[in-house]
Amino acid sequence: MKFAVILLVILIISCVFGSFITQNQTLSWYTEHYSERVAAAIIALHLDDVFHSVWFLVIAGVLCLNLILCNLTRIRPIIDKIRRAGKAPERFEGYLKISGVEDPEDVFEKMHFPKPAADETEDGEKRLFASKNRAGLFGAWICHLGILLLIVGFVLGQLTHREYTVYGVAGETKTVGDTGLFLEINDFQVELRDDDTVSEYRSRITVYSAKDPENRASSEVTVNHPADLYGYRFYQNSTGYAATVKVVKEDALLQENVIAAGEGVRIEEKPMLTVFLQAFYPDLFMTSEGPKTASGKMDNPAYLYSLYYGEDLLGMNVLKEGEEIRVDDYVITFSDPENYTLLQVKKDSFTWMALMGGLIILIGLVLAFYLQQENLAAVREDDGTWTVYGRSGKGSVIFKERLEIAAGKPAESEE
Amino acid sequence: MVFLAIEQYLFTSVLILYVVTMLLYVLYMILKKETISRIALIVQIVALVLHTLAIISRGIGAGRLPLTNQYEFATAFAWGLSLVSLIFILKFRFHLLGAFASPVIILIIGYAAMQSKEVKELMPALKSGWLGLHVASAIIAYGAFGVAFVLSLIFLLRDKMKAKGFLDRHIPPAAKLDVISYRSVCLGLLFLSFTIVSGAIWAEQAWGSYWSWDPKETWSLVTWLIYAVYLHLRIFAKWKGKPAAIFATVGFIAVIFTYIGVNTFLPGVHSYK
Ligand code: HEM
Repeated sequence: MKFAVILLVILIISCVFGSFITQNQTLSWYTEHYSERVAAAIIALHLDDVFHSVWFLVIAGVLCLNLILCNLTRIRPIIDKIRRAGKAPERFEGYLKISGVEDPEDVFEKMHFPKPAADETEDGEKRLFASKNRAGLFGAWICHLGILLLIVGFVLGQLTHREYTVYGVAGETKTVGDTGLFLEINDFQVELRDDDTVSEYRSRITVYSAKDPENRASSEVTVNHPADLYGYRFYQNSTGYAATVKVVKEDALLQENVIAAGEGVRIEEKPMLTVFLQAFYPDLFMTSEGPKTASGKMDNPAYLYSLYYGEDLLGMNVLKEGEEIRVDDYVITFSDPENYTLLQVKKDSFTWMALMGGLIILIGLVLAFYLQQENLAAVREDDGTWTVYGRSGKGSVIFKERLEIAAGKPAESEE
Repeated sequence: MVFLAIEQYLFTSVLILYVVTMLLYVLYMILKKETISRIALIVQIVALVLHTLAIISRGIGAGRLPLTNQYEFATAFAWGLSLVSLIFILKFRFHLLGAFASPVIILIIGYAAMQSKEVKELMPALKSGWLGLHVASAIIAYGAFGVAFVLSLIFLLRDKMKAKGFLDRHIPPAAKLDVISYRSVCLGLLFLSFTIVSGAIWAEQAWGSYWSWDPKETWSLVTWLIYAVYLHLRIFAKWKGKPAAIFATVGFIAVIFTYIGVNTFLPGVHSYK
C-alpha cells in the first residue's frame, strides 16, 4: 500500500503539471511563455500533453496492476475476517469492557444491534453475541474494483472511440466521416428568449446508412439531450452563421453556394478568385472598434467579406443585405443568412464500463464509511451481573462513548 | 422580482446573524457561561433557516435552481458549511466547533457578497437535472471538507496551546477530534465522488465527452486523490492526529483552489465567460 500512496502522489503531481502548463501548444509558444530551457523540457517530458502521454498511461497501468494484485490477494483475508466477525471469539482481546451490567439485552438494543445469539462455553459460561455491518468490510475492496473499472473503461474508450463533427444548414444532407452514414438536417432552430439570450439549440435530423437508405431514423437533438441512432450518439454541439453566396455574370447565375462564416468559395470560372465570408452580423451597428451585432435577431444583417486573388487581398468590407461586390465581370452577393448546426457524432463502447466503475466506487465508499463493522458481546458473571464487551472497526472513541451511554457505565480496555 | 428583493434582505440579515453568532461564541469563551453558547447555537440555527429561505426565494425569483454562478455557489457553499457544522455540533455535542466554523462561514459569505448578484438566464448547456445534483452534492462535499478543516485547525491549536481549564473541558479530547475530522473527510469524499460522477454524466450529455481534463475537472480529481492518500496514510502509516490534521488542511486548500483558483487562474469550460 506504500507503493500505492507513492503512485497516487505521482498522479497528483502530474495533474498539477497538466493543469498549470497550457496544454497542446507548440515549442515556439512555450519558448515565448517560459525560458528556452523550460520550454525544451516541457516538450521532452511530454508536459505539453500530460494526459495523453505515454508515461501518464504507464502510471495509470501500474496503478491498475497494483489494484488488481491488491484486490486479488485481499479476497481471502476479507472473507476470513467477515467469518470471524460473525462468531463470538474465545477471548475478547482488544474489546472494550464494561462490568456489572444488569440488563445486557437493553444495551444491544440501545446500540441498534440485532437480537444477540445466546450460547454457553464448555465451562458453562452464558454468553450473548451479535455483530453488525459485516458487509462494510467489503467496502474498500468494492471501491477499488470500481476504480479499476473506471480507469480501464476510460482508457479503452480513449483508445477505441470514434468521433466526427458534421455541420450544415436545414435541408442539407452530409456524410458522417467514414461511417457510411448519411445525416440529413431537417430543421435547425436557435430559440431566443425575450432578452435575446439563447434558450435552446434544436436540430431535427434523419440518419440512414448507405447500404440501406430506406431504413431511416429521425430524432430531435438539443444541448442536453443527445440522440442514439445507428450505434452512434449525436450531440448538439454548437452553431454559427451561414449564408448563400451567388455569383452572377451578365445576368446569368454562375454558381450558388451555402458557406459558413469563416469559409470561402472559389469562383469556378476563375479559380484564382476566392471570396470569404469572414463574419456575419445579424443586427449590425458600427463602433470605433469595428462592426458589432446588437442582438441575435436578424434585424439588420450584414456580411464581412474578403476577396483574394491568389494570395493577394483585393478587398475587405462590410456588405449589407442587397449590396453587391463587383470584380471583373462578376457580381457577387450574399443572402439568406441562417444558422447552421454543428453536431458531434460519437461512439464510445466503453462509457458504460466507466459509468459502472463510478457507481461501484460510490457503493464501496458508502459501505466503507457508513457500515462500520461492530461486535457486541455479554458474559454472565458468577454474581448474576453481565460484563459487556464491544469492538468497532474504526472510530473507537465514538463507539466507546455510545457504549458508555447505552450501558450507563464507564468502559475500560480489555487487554 | 419581489423574491429577489426579499433574497437580498435575507442575505444581509444572514450575514449579520453569522457575525452575531461568532461574537457570541467569542463572548462565551471570555465569560465561560453555558447560556451564551446555547444562545449562539440558536442564533446559528436561525441564520441557517433564513439562509435556506434566502436561497429558496432566489430560486423562485430566478425561476430555476439557484446554483449556477459564482455568487449563488458561494452562498450555497457557506450554507453547506453551516449545515454540516451544525450537524456535527449537535451530533458530537461540540459547541465550540461553532466558534471556529463561523469565521470561515463569514469569509465565504463575504466572498459571495463581492460577486455579481445579477440573475442571468441560463445558457442551454446549464439546463440539466444532472447539473443540479452535481452542484448540490458539491456543496455538501465542500461543507464537509470545510468542517474537517476547521476541526483540524482546532486540533492543531489545541496541540499548540496545551489547552487547559475551560478550553480543555469544552474541546473534545484530541483522539475524538481526530475521529470527528476523519468522519467529515469521509462524508466529503463520498459527496465529492458523487459530484464528479454526476458532473461526468452531465458533461457527456452536454459536451459529448464525460471527461476532458479541463482544469476544474483535473483539480477535482487532485482533491479527490489527496483525500484518498489521507485515508490510506491513516490506515497503513497510522497517520492519525497531527499529520492527519495537516493533511486535511492541505486537502481543503486544494478544495478552495478548485473552487476559486481554477476560475481565476486557469481557463476552461467551467468559467462560463
Ligand atoms: C493502487 C492503488 C490503491 C491500492 C493498492 C489501495 C490499497 C488499499 C488497501 C490495502 C486498503 C485497506 C483495505 C481495508 O481496510 O480493507 C485500502 C483502503 C481504502 N482505499 Fe485504497 N488503494 C488504492 C487506491 C485507492 C484510491 C484511488 C481510492 C479512492 C478513494 C481508494 C479508496 C480506499 C478507501 C475508501 C479505503 C477504506 C478506507 C477506510 O475505510 O478508512 N483506494 N486501500
